[in-house]
Amino acid sequence: MRLRAGVAIYVVPLLVLMLVAFDVPIVLMLAQSVLSPHPTVAHWAELADSPIYLRVLGNTFQVATITAVVCGLIGYPLAYWMRGLRPGMQLVVVTLVLLPFWISILVRTYAWIVVLGNNGIVNRSLMGLGFTDRPVAFLYNQLGVTIGTTNVLLPFLVLPLFAAMLKIDERLLQAAATLGAPRRAIFWRVFFPLSLPAFAAGLVLVFILTLGFYVTPAILGGGRVPMIANMLDVLINTLPRWELAAAISTVLLAATLALYAVYRTIAARAA
Amino acid sequence: MRITRRELLATGGALTAGLAAPGILRAQQVKEIRIIEAGGKSGESMEPYIKPFTDATGIKVVRESPNPFGKLRSLVQSGQNDIVLFELGSTGKEQAKALDLIEPLDWAAIQPDAMFPEAKDPMGFGWQYYSTLLAWRSDAKTPKNWADFFNTKDFPGKRTMQDRPYGLPYALLADGVPADKLYPLDLDRAFKVMDRVKKDVSVWWSAGAQPPQLLKDNEVQYAVSYSGRVAGQPGISYTYEQAILDLAYLVVPKGARPADKAAAMRLLRDYSKAANQLEAAKVISYTGPSPDLPAMLPKDKMAEFPTVHREKQIIHNVKWWFDNADLVEKRWQQFKLSL
Repeated sequence: MRLRAGVAIYVVPLLVLMLVAFDVPIVLMLAQSVLSPHPTVAHWAELADSPIYLRVLGNTFQVATITAVVCGLIGYPLAYWMRGLRPGMQLVVVTLVLLPFWISILVRTYAWIVVLGNNGIVNRSLMGLGFTDRPVAFLYNQLGVTIGTTNVLLPFLVLPLFAAMLKIDERLLQAAATLGAPRRAIFWRVFFPLSLPAFAAGLVLVFILTLGFYVTPAILGGGRVPMIANMLDVLINTLPRWELAAAISTVLLAATLALYAVYRTIAARAA
Repeated sequence: MRITRRELLATGGALTAGLAAPGILRAQQVKEIRIIEAGGKSGESMEPYIKPFTDATGIKVVRESPNPFGKLRSLVQSGQNDIVLFELGSTGKEQAKALDLIEPLDWAAIQPDAMFPEAKDPMGFGWQYYSTLLAWRSDAKTPKNWADFFNTKDFPGKRTMQDRPYGLPYALLADGVPADKLYPLDLDRAFKVMDRVKKDVSVWWSAGAQPPQLLKDNEVQYAVSYSGRVAGQPGISYTYEQAILDLAYLVVPKGARPADKAAAMRLLRDYSKAANQLEAAKVISYTGPSPDLPAMLPKDKMAEFPTVHREKQIIHNVKWWFDNADLVEKRWQQFKLSL
């Protein structure tokens, strides 16, 4: 008990900082949806009456689902492959996975325009090699947004998953082999279930992070893929309808917190 | 150190004198004022106004960008008073007035040179005319007007339009509505035209730098673009026919410090000088509010400037857009969801 009190003293300053500098402003901002300009439910009524806002939210969830699935399809085999490498090589590959973090998201997003645009390297190669006679539309649609979000978020899935895979006891796999299980059965019945909680946690994390994406849909979506952050930008900066934006943000925050609870539950099982 | 009664009185007297001095005198004690502008080349074109002001008064002007409307609202509502001028479009100015976010200019203190009447607004100094017009790759089939822009069969190619509803008048013009019967906008009819072309609009742009870049990259062949962004760009053609002419204003956020405001009024006098406007027009092909300016513009570049083509263009209808902002926004978001 004394130890706990001692720890609390160290934690209090940080807690106060978070409370005053982060939590209170957020609550004040969200409270605008019911308090501005006077106590009212009008802004929430407007949100409920306007299916467009909820449809944009739905579209955002759809993009987030697709991103999580694509990250999973690419990330799981990548992490699995990394697990089998020599330690020296593992370090090299981890660095390569981390490398994009060192580059600004804006630069990375614009780089895709250079690579995938109508006059980009990929389209010019495809046309030069005769695979297609007109440029493939990689950008300015849902595909472009998915490429962008996956590129940014893949490390968030791969790194924790790789760490969790390293912790899986090699002897369990050897035991399964000794008992005559074929490689496929060892993977599906021993390895995959052991990695599943970390995998699921990574998918939820990617999903949550995609919900807040702004730059990628704005640039690679060509304004054709409506996502909630971009709609909030219009409501806050252009119109400005802060009260409605606060109501939508509250819905988004509630959804994110619910998902975070799911993430914590899964992550606790993984640990 | 002990302060004698005499010294105290003397100091007090000096202070009182300072307080009583006319605003312009106190403005000279201001070392620096901060303004928020739209950024890009248009922001750079403020330097020809700022330099003579700083040379004459010794007051530095710090420019910041960009200028989203939400920033003005947060500045004023949080009581931050160190921004003295804020750039807004004409609709933005009306919005700011309605939300009580700006205060009147002191035109008596500005003492401007001659200006076009709409630029001399009680609440805003119209400093830069700009047009939103039809631009295209010079190697694409030449369109004459908006009817051609919206005719994707005879003018094949991808389009880019602004990711805001301001392009709706073009759709109506294309559909045969005469320019003088445009307002009030027939939204149903406009969106019907938009529905017809939406599959050929590959990018809905949000930054003025995008259309010229998309044209250069051959990502699109036809664009709705700000005039200054495409004027003088190799490989890009444009027309002022049925373009929309609008005016960017400088406004004073409510609660700005009086001394700063006095300095800002002095700065605005430099914005009214045709000679400075000529230098600014060399940075980007937008034009200032002086009626004397068009005659001074370089003859070979005359065609690039928005105010030279006044009669071909449509003036942005501030009142209609302001009155219908909510309705238009909802319809616009609905349309965007149907893409």
